[in-house]
Amino acid sequence: MRTYEVLFILSPQVPEEEAKTLVDEFKRIAETTGATLKNEEPWGRRRLAYPIHKSNEGLYHLFVFESASSLAELDRRMKNSDRVLRHIIVRTDEDQKRADKLAKRNPKKERVRPLPAGVTPAAVEAAPEPAAPADETPLA
Amino acid sequence: MATTMGGPRRSSEGRGGPGGGQQGGKKKFFYRRKRVCKFCVEKIEYIDFKDVKMLQQFIPERGKILPRRISGTCALHQRKLQNAIKRARIVALLPFTAD
Repeated sequence: MRTYEVLFILSPQVPEEEAKTLVDEFKRIAETTGATLKNEEPWGRRRLAYPIHKSNEGLYHLFVFESASSLAELDRRMKNSDRVLRHIIVRTDEDQKRADKLAKRNPKKERVRPLPAGVTPAAVEAAPEPAAPADETPLA
Repeated sequence: MATTMGGPRRSSEGRGGPGGGQQGGKKKFFYRRKRVCKFCVEKIEYIDFKDVKMLQQFIPERGKILPRRISGTCALHQRKLQNAIKRARIVALLPFTAD
């Protein structure tokens, strides 16, 4: 099984009703080609980083599908639709698997700080951490 | 006197050859902060193209991708970051250029 993320932008001129039917239609198209919807996130109206077709806004919508085959049909339909400003389909399962493997190899651990002499780890755990906020180095 | 005379001569000799770095090493002293790969430190293995806030840290004003030389990102993560930024640009989450 492959996992796909489908992110697309609908034109802001599309009325809400039509947007809803379009989203449902895309969902239906994917499901008829054997995909199952795992997650759905309507991001709503968002500012675009650059104008597309002279509009500065777009309706973002995200699907996460699981499918045995590619989403070629959905891709084609989105490409042809003039309501869709942009769309991207990304296969994530392989990268995710690799990432999980890497995470397993070097698991996330608390940063080990040398303890001052005479302080046992148990004492540190018991005491509240006053130095915690000062620890955060701001990333410029 | 002799030392000041020796300085420029040596640098002019070094211009053509590998000794060019000597000039910089002698005069300027950089304090270089140790750069570490953010993703290695925070153990982020999968760089998501949808995470605009995170990606924006690697996008300076002009909208270019911050080079590894400056950000300190390791080669593996820089490559993944680069892919994520390029994907984000396609769907207008990040600019191709900004001015």
